Amino acid sequence: MAVCPALCDNVQRSNTEEDCHNRMLNEWLLSLARFFDAQNWSTQIHESIYLYAWIETTHVLTLMVFLGMLFVIDLRMLGLAFPNVRASVIAERLDKPMMIGLTLMVITGVLLYYAIPVRTTQSLWFRIKVMLFVLAAINAFAFRARMQASVGSWDTDPKPPRHIRMGAAASILLWAGVVVTGRTIAYDWFDCHKELPYAMYWAAGCVDEMAAFASE
Amino acid sequence: MDLYPIFDWLDTSLLADISKAYGGVFAVVQMFHLLGMSILGGMVLVGDLRLLNVVMKDTPSEVVIENTHKWFGIGLATMVVSGIFMSSAVSLKLYYNEMFWAKMTALAVGVAFFYFVRRPLLSNSHDAIKPSVLKLMAVTSIAIWFTVAASGRWIGFS
Repeated sequence: MAVCPALCDNVQRSNTEEDCHNRMLNEWLLSLARFFDAQNWSTQIHESIYLYAWIETTHVLTLMVFLGMLFVIDLRMLGLAFPNVRASVIAERLDKPMMIGLTLMVITGVLLYYAIPVRTTQSLWFRIKVMLFVLAAINAFAFRARMQASVGSWDTDPKPPRHIRMGAAASILLWAGVVVTGRTIAYDWFDCHKELPYAMYWAAGCVDEMAAFASE
Repeated sequence: MDLYPIFDWLDTSLLADISKAYGGVFAVVQMFHLLGMSILGGMVLVGDLRLLNVVMKDTPSEVVIENTHKWFGIGLATMVVSGIFMSSAVSLKLYYNEMFWAKMTALAVGVAFFYFVRRPLLSNSHDAIKPSVLKLMAVTSIAIWFTVAASGRWIGFS
């Protein structure tokens, strides 16, 4: 894109097209976050005595519902639980409560982001969490497709075939990653106001700090 | 019985040295705490929703309940062990925190309810138990464990 180097030519470190795209994306995300931050509702959620706490509590409770159902399904697919119940029965019957939990968890998660948008947008952990969430979703869809295609041949086996067990293990690991990065958002280890290497500013999308770093 | 000496000991223990000094270790242990809670919650919910005839209606409730016991225990053990580590970071603060004691009370009630009421009762044929008793027990169980999870989160806000 020809416009990119022109926009970024005053920043030495961002003079490659890839860096420039990254910078533009980060600036756009930060503008959006500042737009949310300026809204009255965002401030009210953040500064309310109980509302933020209740949203976060609901987030944890729905996480328990969603992950709880997911664990039951994944443990069955690993051959570690419910060996005498058909795998397809577990997957199909628990799908609905799991999706209800996921929906509520995402809604409350969006509200938590909306309450503290600028810091969250520039949180390295939040960015990793979103990436892991997307990977976990892709794995879930791929896993579901693989399972539906082959379930007839192993449905009643206490221990499903290797490719199904691998998918279930990947699911648990990815969601564990989502949980740990969700928790570490609260820590300020890599917040933009800290003195960090350029790579960390880049990863966290600290636009102003990257510009200051480059102009030194 | 005053439990202060236990909290005082925990505050100066090796666990406290680690949990206070290494935020990353604390975060990973907290992940295990949440995963343990999710495993326990999943097993409780699947069993109780089956008793309420909401999920897995085509599988006998005895089979569903029996399959949840082992993983309930694993989830509970994970929660307790990781919880002790997490408590060591702020043990004296927790001693004076009302929400912490609310959670411990709810947890004790939940464990007692599971091992001394729900499990012995459900070890019989479910056909021999009044449906209203099964449903009441399922609703009580869900309410207790949701209270444990919610009060646990509120420790951080209080």
